[in-house]
Amino acid sequence: MNFSLDIMTSAFPLLLAGAAITIEISALSVFLGLIIGCFVGIARLGSLRLLRLLANFYVDFIRGTPLLVQIFLVYFALPGIIGQRVDPFFAAISACSINSGAYIAEIFRAGIQSIDKGQMEAGRSLGMTWTQTMRYIIVPQAFKRIIPPLGNEFIAMLKDSSLVSVIGFEELTRRGQLIIARTYASFEIWLAVAVIYLIMTFAVARLVAALERRYNKNERD
Amino acid sequence: MSATDIMIKIKDLHKSYGELEVLKGIDLDIAAKEVVVIIGPSGCGKSTLLRCINYLEEFQHGTITVDGVPLSGEANINEIRREVGMVFQRFNLFPHMTVLENLTLAPVKVRGISKKEAEMTAMFYLEKVGMAAKANEYPDMLSGGQQQRVAIARALCMKPKALLFDEPTSALDPEMVNEVLDVMKGLAKEGMTMAVVTHEMGFAREVGDRVIFLYGGKILEQGTPEEVFDHPKEERTQAFLSKIL
Repeated sequence: MNFSLDIMTSAFPLLLAGAAITIEISALSVFLGLIIGCFVGIARLGSLRLLRLLANFYVDFIRGTPLLVQIFLVYFALPGIIGQRVDPFFAAISACSINSGAYIAEIFRAGIQSIDKGQMEAGRSLGMTWTQTMRYIIVPQAFKRIIPPLGNEFIAMLKDSSLVSVIGFEELTRRGQLIIARTYASFEIWLAVAVIYLIMTFAVARLVAALERRYNKNERD
Repeated sequence: MSATDIMIKIKDLHKSYGELEVLKGIDLDIAAKEVVVIIGPSGCGKSTLLRCINYLEEFQHGTITVDGVPLSGEANINEIRREVGMVFQRFNLFPHMTVLENLTLAPVKVRGISKKEAEMTAMFYLEKVGMAAKANEYPDMLSGGQQQRVAIARALCMKPKALLFDEPTSALDPEMVNEVLDVMKGLAKEGMTMAVVTHEMGFAREVGDRVIFLYGGKILEQGTPEEVFDHPKEERTQAFLSKIL
């Protein structure tokens, strides 16, 4: 086997552009997932039965099925229902954020449940409604606690987003496949792709750790 | 005492946790400006009774009326709660907010007053409990006694008609108990209607207008502090008092 550093270096700019797209869809999906997850997580703890059942079903369905199948559902099955082709970018973002939302809902639920119940009682005893107490007292405190698991979720999404390559969406993994189709340099390109993923996930892990330290410091100030 | 003087009226209150009946028919009227001290052995339902008045616990049977407004489930609990303040054993300050923010949140969100007005009110009550200098500190930086004084000021900011104290000094180091009791004495002197669950018998004797002895989910004996402490009629009361005095 001959290893060509040239192929690797010349492929780098193209791969980096793909990595930028990977970061873009991961960040957007986790951001949208955060919004979904916040509401779903709260719904799972709320007193409205129908809402709770729906939220439970959503979380169970998403966590119980592969992301790959979810991507296929959005990209291949959804057009059959709406009678219109689905844009790969839209399919990638919606599948990933709906997926992420379910996991983040569980993170939120655990975060909210970890807050001392005296906080809810204090809020309620001051005449605030359940929703007001959640919004101003419980969720802000829970948010600080869920930063580390949210960071993990983002790292998982960076890696899992490689699955959207199967619908032809050109993120990092798909770029790698395309370059290999042209150059046949599997080993060099996949190694380069792996290294880029590693750098991204490592950087995010460090960023989260720094963020966590800063938040903890603020609390003591 | 005439009917209009009654701030909190409890009639035939029953409360169970599953099979276990904790309150077995409580009848209690608390007059405006009255300080009622509730004592009794642990597990007798003291805290549960207070928490029912604030509807932190649902009850199965009976009625509670606050200033003429009956407590009727979810519909008006927020209304009742804003009129009745509660001070907890573990303070329950909001750790992510400064002392001042702790005090202004509910008045702004619930009463709908301006932030500026809420801050003026907050500073007034912080001054009263001797905590004005700590307005911009976070709760974690304060001692237990200081936190509890802030918690009392927070309850006062809602201008409640009555205040409930659930063992307010039980979680404090001994040297901090008095600073909190002094604040409570001050409130009693100013005519605040108060229901206090406590083990501080000195406080009960000095400040209480009436002492209630709760035993096994019922009011076993009640009267002025002198009557209950010096001449308890019931054997159970005597036994309880001999253990703690």
